[in-house]
Amino acid sequence: MRSSWMRHWLLFCCLLCSAPLHAAEILLSGAEDNPAIRAFSAALAELRPQDRVRFQPLAQLPSPERIPAGTRLILLDLHALDWRLSTAAGPPALMLRISRVQARERLGKHRPAQLSLLWSDPAPARQLRLVRLLLPQAQRIGVLHDEHSQFLLDELRQAATPLGLEIVGQAWPDSRDNRPLLALLQRSDLLFGVDDDDLFNPRTAKNLLLTSYGQQRAMIGPNASFVRAGSLASVYSDQQDWLNSLDRLLDQPPSSWPHSAYPAYFKVLGNRQVARALAIELADDASLTQQVAEGEHL
Amino acid sequence: MAINPRASLPLSLLALLATGEVLGDDLFDNHHAMPEVLTATRLKQAPAAVPGSVTVLDSALIKASGARDIPELLRLVPGMMVGYRNGNQATANYHGSNVTEARRLQVLIDGRSVYRPGLASVDWTDIPVAIEDIERIEVFRGPNTVSYGANALMGVINILTRHPLDSRGTRLKTTQGQRGIHDWYASHGSAWQDGALRLSLSGLQDSGFDHDQFGRDYRDSRRLNRFNLSASQQLDSRHSLAWQLAAKEGSNQRPYGYASVFDEQIAPGDDGSDVKARDYAGSLRWTLDFSPEHSLYLQSSAQHWERKQVWRACEAEVAFSPELGELWDLNPFYVVKFGDYLTQLKNNPTNAVLPPGTAREQALATAVRAQLFGGGAAPVCGDVNQSMRETRYDFEVQDTLSLSDDLRLLSGLGYRYDHADSETYFNGALSNHIWRLFGHLEWQLGAHWLVQGGAMLEDDRLSGSSLTPRIAVNYLITPRHGLRAVYSEAVRSPDMYENNVDWRYRVRNLQPQAFGQSSATYFARSRGPGDLDQEIMRSRELGYNGSFADVGISLDIKLFYDEIHGMISEPLRNDRFFPSNANSMRFSGAETQIDWQLSHADRLRLSYAYLDFSASSHLDRRLSARHSGSAGWLRDWGQGWSSALFYYGADQLNQYRFERLDLRVAKRITIGSAALELAGVMQQRLDDEPLTWQENNYDERQLLYFSAELEF
Repeated sequence: MRSSWMRHWLLFCCLLCSAPLHAAEILLSGAEDNPAIRAFSAALAELRPQDRVRFQPLAQLPSPERIPAGTRLILLDLHALDWRLSTAAGPPALMLRISRVQARERLGKHRPAQLSLLWSDPAPARQLRLVRLLLPQAQRIGVLHDEHSQFLLDELRQAATPLGLEIVGQAWPDSRDNRPLLALLQRSDLLFGVDDDDLFNPRTAKNLLLTSYGQQRAMIGPNASFVRAGSLASVYSDQQDWLNSLDRLLDQPPSSWPHSAYPAYFKVLGNRQVARALAIELADDASLTQQVAEGEHL
Repeated sequence: MAINPRASLPLSLLALLATGEVLGDDLFDNHHAMPEVLTATRLKQAPAAVPGSVTVLDSALIKASGARDIPELLRLVPGMMVGYRNGNQATANYHGSNVTEARRLQVLIDGRSVYRPGLASVDWTDIPVAIEDIERIEVFRGPNTVSYGANALMGVINILTRHPLDSRGTRLKTTQGQRGIHDWYASHGSAWQDGALRLSLSGLQDSGFDHDQFGRDYRDSRRLNRFNLSASQQLDSRHSLAWQLAAKEGSNQRPYGYASVFDEQIAPGDDGSDVKARDYAGSLRWTLDFSPEHSLYLQSSAQHWERKQVWRACEAEVAFSPELGELWDLNPFYVVKFGDYLTQLKNNPTNAVLPPGTAREQALATAVRAQLFGGGAAPVCGDVNQSMRETRYDFEVQDTLSLSDDLRLLSGLGYRYDHADSETYFNGALSNHIWRLFGHLEWQLGAHWLVQGGAMLEDDRLSGSSLTPRIAVNYLITPRHGLRAVYSEAVRSPDMYENNVDWRYRVRNLQPQAFGQSSATYFARSRGPGDLDQEIMRSRELGYNGSFADVGISLDIKLFYDEIHGMISEPLRNDRFFPSNANSMRFSGAETQIDWQLSHADRLRLSYAYLDFSASSHLDRRLSARHSGSAGWLRDWGQGWSSALFYYGADQLNQYRFERLDLRVAKRITIGSAALELAGVMQQRLDDEPLTWQENNYDERQLLYFSAELEF
């Protein structure tokens, strides 16, 4: 009898620690509806068999206050964000695929209580740890910004200071004018890409990469696509990382969701050809990922 | 990556299986339109992996040096010997050799060779590029005909101008100083969606050396103006175009270019024999990126050199005697002996005997003697024309193919047409067609070994065909530290003048007339043999290149043993010019260059070359210093102040020691969005020697000049 009671108690404790108390209704939504979104939704459903996971296009959703309060919303684009922000009432939401710059434009410094913003940007501390690993002698981190992304410098500086790195900012108001870029490359040791689509996009990639390479400066970040284009390396989170990160958050009650967070799971992608041309020793992606992750707990 | 302990094995497998699909259509990696930019075809080798010795003069160094023209910058390159024939004729030779000609160096501006085909020279003063437009200079120290074609015998100077996209805005600069320095530069760059353009105009002026060895004024000033237009246009994601137009006009003073051989008392007919020099160039490069692994470019260029040199010279009438000309053609050595006989006739007539020779030689000599005593010693003056026009068309296709991550093939085909037109030098026009085919393979064997080799096949219509191989093995201790062993062969084709010169002066407007003619041919003439072979160089090199990133040191060491066979050593002259492939030369030694970024504010740069050499011709022993080098300290003092101190030294350049200390101090002032830089340069010679030649002297050992540059 006693052992049976203990077994139940232990089981209860385990359930309490490792699983949500009850099956949850998880609703993903966005203005777009395409196979990639459906696949993501299906993968999340598979990851959380105990929950009811479904995707519904934004156009088919009622206003947020008419959705049951126990539902957990996962918003996939900015239209969905606008929809959720249209009223304070309604269920809590996890906002995916939003960058710091986009959030700043939409929300300013305001962080609505019902929202948890999950940044698409690579976490500055991780990216800077990657810099330390690949270019231990680099101290001056060159960061291009425009008026929309200037605020990122503060956060970058906070992350850089403990690592002994200096952030060198340079405004780049007109991407057809290379003078600010050249000036920055001259007074910094590398170019650090930030998630600002105005500055780092397919149109500017060629010039950014060729100019920094021409000045024998490596570029780090801002994302995996840029690494494939010729950036030395970047921290990034792919779909699987996002699924795992979401899984972790969905295990928690919405009341303990952070107002904003970077994904818990990530990877590192390096460009071996570029590393060779810049005479940089590049460990394989998995061990770089592990080394960057190790710094997380220090 | 944090491992999710809850993901079951089947789920992880599922995720892995899904990865391929997800990567192609990942909700969180949505930059599918991103082009691949730094591809295998665009990336260059890291310094430790380069199959040879390279010195890069970057824009910071170029600016800090305060140099006004390119040859002065080349003093920063280990083993580069820089000399001056006069104030406006610099000669730069890697490892030296001949002091008057620099025939064995290839010089390129954005891939366009500026080595003049006609007279086998590089006119540094006349190259239509302003130093302010130069982004960097890459000097390949050693033979590399595989990559750069014939004439890249002892080295290659690759001058790269600033990309138009990096030149946006306006720059205005003026430089004024002692020794008649008046330089100016103005440029404006603009950019649009997919292209950019820069227009620059510039001028340079100075008075050259002050006095010759006799203390007389030296006529060697220069004045020039240049025009440059450089543009780039991205046509679409795979095609891009870059084109340039350049022109230069100017005047280079020369001292009076003739001394009478018959009577030293005959007065000069003119103040000097100045050259009006005009250069025109246009080039177009079309780059096609087939894929990240395969690209091709097509470059074509057209160039025209115009040297107008006409002056009035005076000589005894007999110099235009048809009989004397015939005698010279028969046997120039007899004419030399006949000249000695004439001198003897003047000083000691009783012992003078007409030199023995064939009956025809003696008959002609007798006739000339009669002309001389029958009034032929009287001076006549006429217009000497030493002008020349040269034209070059050059096409090159180069294909870069990355066969795998570790194997890259560069191959290409080139065609060059050279045309020289000069009544004096070629008795008309002369042209040459040159084809070349080249291939170069880079093969990375694991993390440490790199084997690079190639060959060039060249066919030169005037001097035949040649095949030159090149092989290099690099051992990379780490990506930043590499050892290299290089063997290369290179050729230099004899140039038009060496092989095919037909040098004769047709003097016009003779007053009084010579033998009843107002236009006559000067007796001395020379002809190239037409059957000269190519010079062959064999070079062996061991080297180390390392970068100690933690302390900011880059270091390169080179040990070399080079031999040139079949060397054509005879300088250009119009009497007794008998070039041959009879000479040879050998160089061995060691070179090093160190670049040390001490801090963000301080940079040290050292270069040193020790050269041991032997040459069968005394003419090739002139411009090779045994010890030469440079030392520089660049400092940023903050608040816009910066300074650079350079020392240059060579123990003997044509027997003269050369040591100089240069100091440049600059202050940059920001005014709104504009910037003004004020700079002063002081050069202090540390020796009392002439520069290269005894004629080349300055009144003062010190030179000062100042510049002001506005950017907005």
